[in-house]
Amino acid sequence: MILTIAGHTFREVIRKKILHVLIGLGILIIAVSPFIPTTDEPDARVKMMLVVFFQVVVLLCIVGIIFLSATSLPHEIEYRTIYGILSKPVSRLKIVAGKITGFALLSALLLIILGLLNVIAIQRIASKLPEGYRGILKARNEFAASQFSIQGKSHHVREGIVWIEGGRSGIALWSFSDLCKKPDDKSSFEVEFDLKIDSGRKDAGAIPLVVGIEDTGTGQCKTVVLSAKIDEPLTVKIDPELVRKSSILNITAFPIHSMDYIGVTGEDAKLYAVRKGFISNYTKAVGITFLKFLLIVTIAVMGSTYLSAPVSIVSALVVFLCGHILDFVKDFSLLIQSYDVHEHALPTALKKPNILLVYIDYLIKKPLEWLTVILPDFKRFDSLKFLLKGINISWETVGVSVGYTALYAGICLFISSILFKKREFF
Amino acid sequence: MDNSAVRTEGLTKVYKDFWRRKSVSALTNLNLNIERGEIFGLLGPNGSGKTTTVKLLLGLLFPTSGKSWLLGHSSIDLIVKSKIGFLPEESYLYKFLNAEEILDFYGKLFDIPKTERRLRIDKLIRNVGLHTYRKRQLSQYSKGMLRRIGLAQAIINDPELVILDEPTSGLDPIASREIKDLILDFKRQGKTVILCSHLLADVQNICDRIAILNKGVLQVMGNVRELLSQKDVIEFVVKNLSDKDVQEVETFIKSRSGNVLSINHHASTLEELFLTIIQQSK
Repeated sequence: MILTIAGHTFREVIRKKILHVLIGLGILIIAVSPFIPTTDEPDARVKMMLVVFFQVVVLLCIVGIIFLSATSLPHEIEYRTIYGILSKPVSRLKIVAGKITGFALLSALLLIILGLLNVIAIQRIASKLPEGYRGILKARNEFAASQFSIQGKSHHVREGIVWIEGGRSGIALWSFSDLCKKPDDKSSFEVEFDLKIDSGRKDAGAIPLVVGIEDTGTGQCKTVVLSAKIDEPLTVKIDPELVRKSSILNITAFPIHSMDYIGVTGEDAKLYAVRKGFISNYTKAVGITFLKFLLIVTIAVMGSTYLSAPVSIVSALVVFLCGHILDFVKDFSLLIQSYDVHEHALPTALKKPNILLVYIDYLIKKPLEWLTVILPDFKRFDSLKFLLKGINISWETVGVSVGYTALYAGICLFISSILFKKREFF
Repeated sequence: MDNSAVRTEGLTKVYKDFWRRKSVSALTNLNLNIERGEIFGLLGPNGSGKTTTVKLLLGLLFPTSGKSWLLGHSSIDLIVKSKIGFLPEESYLYKFLNAEEILDFYGKLFDIPKTERRLRIDKLIRNVGLHTYRKRQLSQYSKGMLRRIGLAQAIINDPELVILDEPTSGLDPIASREIKDLILDFKRQGKTVILCSHLLADVQNICDRIAILNKGVLQVMGNVRELLSQKDVIEFVVKNLSDKDVQEVETFIKSRSGNVLSINHHASTLEELFLTIIQQSK
């Protein structure tokens, strides 16, 4: 029954040629994306294509899907075609579930068609990239350091960042343990540093850095000198055999010159197992994006069980927008909180009992706090960052996203069924 | 076992405004009992509560008070809907589908197996005279054609109870007659029919019993013949009587203290005349 209504919903969108328009626009944007002006880096076009797909094309499709899913039930009610379904042995919950399934199928079709075209275009462009810039087409598994320490003395510590001066006065050391249990045979390995650098020398855009890789078990050690630039990650390839045999791998770094400085934290050196898994990573990213579609469809249909078409569209769009700025809403709410906490610093006239503070608390702060709890966190579904950094999207991330969507969509479906069950059709 | 096809007890519907204040009493204390296998006419002027009654029976509206039962089940029971066919007063159909597709969609909602569904769709499309236009989108259908396909969807599940709201509206006299024949055919098949109509002649011709509603209140309910018959007025319909004979009969009646109200030549209905002319022109 649910599939019948889903199929019907799907057919309606296709017959009304709305899907054609969305796909057409999507293809147009994908076709234009390689020609958008960007930086001179060879892989910048690929990055741009990923950004355009996951931010522009997906946004366009989501807005289209919101319009369709938020208006479907209200139109059925307005044109009274709902009588035809409600007079048949179909429960109202199944009608709502059928609508959601229909739009979910539609979203899946959109993402499959456009995602496929985009990945074909990306592969075509990426095949012409120099070898050193094909990292974007990799899927790297990240290993965080199990231990971080400074050997020797640090220059100073500011905001959690330890600054080391060059000339062997201090060395940053990151230890990675139990690596031999984790990687597989097909992976290559690399360390990526995200260091803060500074120099007392004039016009020093880059500083020479000594990086050491040591297997504590065998005592085998390799040292390289690299040039570290400001705001640019530094990558060092590691012999896979070294990693596979090693129980503990120590990575060290320090600047050569005494006038140069590096600022380090425990998270600034990461070991990556690199695999050729772009397609699978891209598929996971599209899958997570589909969950985003599913969630907004459920929310839009839920609104449409009670609201009119225009109100339903606006509310779904507002939820979608707010779901992306939850961090901002949380920060804003905390700002009011800190204003409240530091009440003692207020002038006497504003001290308790003060109706203004009570209003701020009850009319702004508390609703904002509730909003951050109630609204779905759409940033959770942002998978673009993984693709741009070439980091493998773990199955754990996918599982958490599926669980979050299932839980949230389940609650929305439950509310929808209650609202729709109580609805009368005049 | 409850033998009634439809039973209502004190069915009342009060429409409320946005602030939940009582706004309009659409139906007040309706007690109906429609037997299985009869054709029941629900009559009344606009706003009398006919459509409200139908919507309450179908669960599209919820009663303010009172209860209703269809075919022995509570009207809110989902299972009863598989035995009901409903034709709304307007053809509220999906215009982007063709005749076959819309019947297939509704057939699927009744969970009718595919083979059975195809057979029924084919038969129904032929019965309502749309086999030539079966692949044409409903957006290109005339009002009459939409009415026909609407009727076909109402009986796709071979229902025990058929609720028809203005079934002949928008139809030409021939199609109208066909629909009436179809309704009489339902009766022969043992189905119960509730017919809401403004066309009193239609109701008079085919209904066994009627109920007249006004301002949401049941005014009268009973057998059509009984309600229309005037016990103190007698009508003779005689053929081949000369004017002289008519005068003699009139004199005889007057001699027995009878009051002759009118003496007319019997007139057929306009519908009968129209159908005869169309039939002859063929």
